[in-house]
Amino acid sequence: MELTFIVFLSSGLFLGWSLGANDAANVFGTAVGTRMLRFYTAAGVCAVFVVLGAVVSGAGASHGLGQLGSINALGGSFTVALAAAITVYGMTKLGLPVSTTQAIVGGIIGWNLFSATPTDTTALSKIVGTWVACPILGALFAFVLYRLMQKLIHVTKPHLLWLDQGTRIGLVLAGALGAYSLGANNIANVVGVFVPASTLEDMSLGLFTLSGQQRLFLLGGLAVAVGAFFSRRVMMTVGNSIVTVGPVGGWVVVVAHSMVLFVFASQSLQALITNIGLPAIPLVPVSSSQAVVGAVCGLALSHGLKGARQIKWSVLRNIALGWVATPAIAALISYIALYFVQNVFEQPVYYAVVAG
Amino acid sequence: MAELKISPFRRTRELKTQIDEMLDVVSQAALAYKHGISQYIRRGWDESVEEKCDLVSQCESRGDKLRSSIGQSMYTEMLLPDTSGDVLGLLGSLDRLLDDLEHCLNVVRIEQPEVPPEYHDDWIECADNAAEAVEAVVLAARSYFRDPIAARDHIHKIHFYEKSTQTIALRLIERIFKSDLPLDRKMLLRGHVWLVDRLADKADNAGDALAIYAVKRSV
Repeated sequence: MELTFIVFLSSGLFLGWSLGANDAANVFGTAVGTRMLRFYTAAGVCAVFVVLGAVVSGAGASHGLGQLGSINALGGSFTVALAAAITVYGMTKLGLPVSTTQAIVGGIIGWNLFSATPTDTTALSKIVGTWVACPILGALFAFVLYRLMQKLIHVTKPHLLWLDQGTRIGLVLAGALGAYSLGANNIANVVGVFVPASTLEDMSLGLFTLSGQQRLFLLGGLAVAVGAFFSRRVMMTVGNSIVTVGPVGGWVVVVAHSMVLFVFASQSLQALITNIGLPAIPLVPVSSSQAVVGAVCGLALSHGLKGARQIKWSVLRNIALGWVATPAIAALISYIALYFVQNVFEQPVYYAVVAG
Repeated sequence: MAELKISPFRRTRELKTQIDEMLDVVSQAALAYKHGISQYIRRGWDESVEEKCDLVSQCESRGDKLRSSIGQSMYTEMLLPDTSGDVLGLLGSLDRLLDDLEHCLNVVRIEQPEVPPEYHDDWIECADNAAEAVEAVVLAARSYFRDPIAARDHIHKIHFYEKSTQTIALRLIERIFKSDLPLDRKMLLRGHVWLVDRLADKADNAGDALAIYAVKRSV
């Protein structure tokens, strides 16, 4: 592994750390916020499964992001990842659940503008479409799941203590699935921009071989895993700020969020849907923050008008503002940083592609 | 086979057993109280009533230990994070009922009031209703843990028994004060009737709190 590559990859790893610090909250925020799981248990489980998801199933969504802009110089990849990381870090510091997807998309658009590369509007519209679909799907899944859970509890009448125990186990399992889906879906945000310029080669580990791309995803996954241990503050925001969520509600939110990520990351599900003649679901990195906010709102709405009144709309407004601000800020930082890296540090940030 | 110490279900199972035992202890104490008072009124303070009094005392001590152990477990193991306050409140109410049951029988043991035969039936009925109110609290508490909506079916019975106890107690006190008994005996008997009425009142308070806990669980 070249030293230059490691140095350039550092911004991607920083972004991975920011993603872990922010998005681990989406997976385990409600569980920790409702005090059903200890923070370090949640962060530990999240770390392990995020790495697994990234290495085993990270390729699908990474390909989807690559269509938006194929950054062909390491200096460019470094700068775009750095711009996204600074944006995510800054918004995380403010305690706002921020979308890493939007930050990296903003960063790539900044690169496209700087390098005068036309942005693939089809790919962009697919990704932007998920910004709308994600919270709606999250809300829908949470609404249906919560109603089903209510019926199940009403019919089976478990003892309060067994319900508590079952919810705890369910939260760990759903959180593990959510972390796996997060790794599979969002690793593209972390190191996806380095894939075209990567110099990593295949590595044999005896029983199995890691491809160059998987090695890159492993490094990114480890950065996300470390970041998960810094997510306590945002976990509390997700767990308690939008609406008061009980333990069963917390489980519903985690499962609904995981389902949304799974829908946009699973190649098998995409194949199944295409086989039965339905339009294909785009495999692109989606915002887990949007999924979780939607799920929390869906949960509140499942309680009817009373639940809708309980939603703290001011927090939602701040989050929505972040959604608009994130890509804009990231694109601006990316554009300015690319200028500096190219003209002050004299590093190539793109190579001109000869048409044809 | 030795129990698997690292089982994630062990603590939950133990805690559930302790809560069930707490409810059994209160129910047992209420039954012992009911029979103890009935036997005392008919036959005076004898060995059998003494046994009932001892049983209620044992129940009260066991209840104290269980309540403290359950509370400690819930906090140290972070169990029931959203309902631990309600569960501990409920256990506190049950413990106060045990205290009152013990107190009522102890006062009878110390003062051994002579109850004239014309008040026997009312007196027994009054104590029976108070004990029934306590038993209804136990049933409502059991429902709270499994089916909070069904807890309401028992809570209305608590109110019914409390009202009955109060009606009989007032009637009894009125009759006592209209009688030719000396004033000191009247006041002694009135004090004992109030004690029975207070027991039903405490059960009623527990029922009110339980109704709120049940609503909180069912929404």
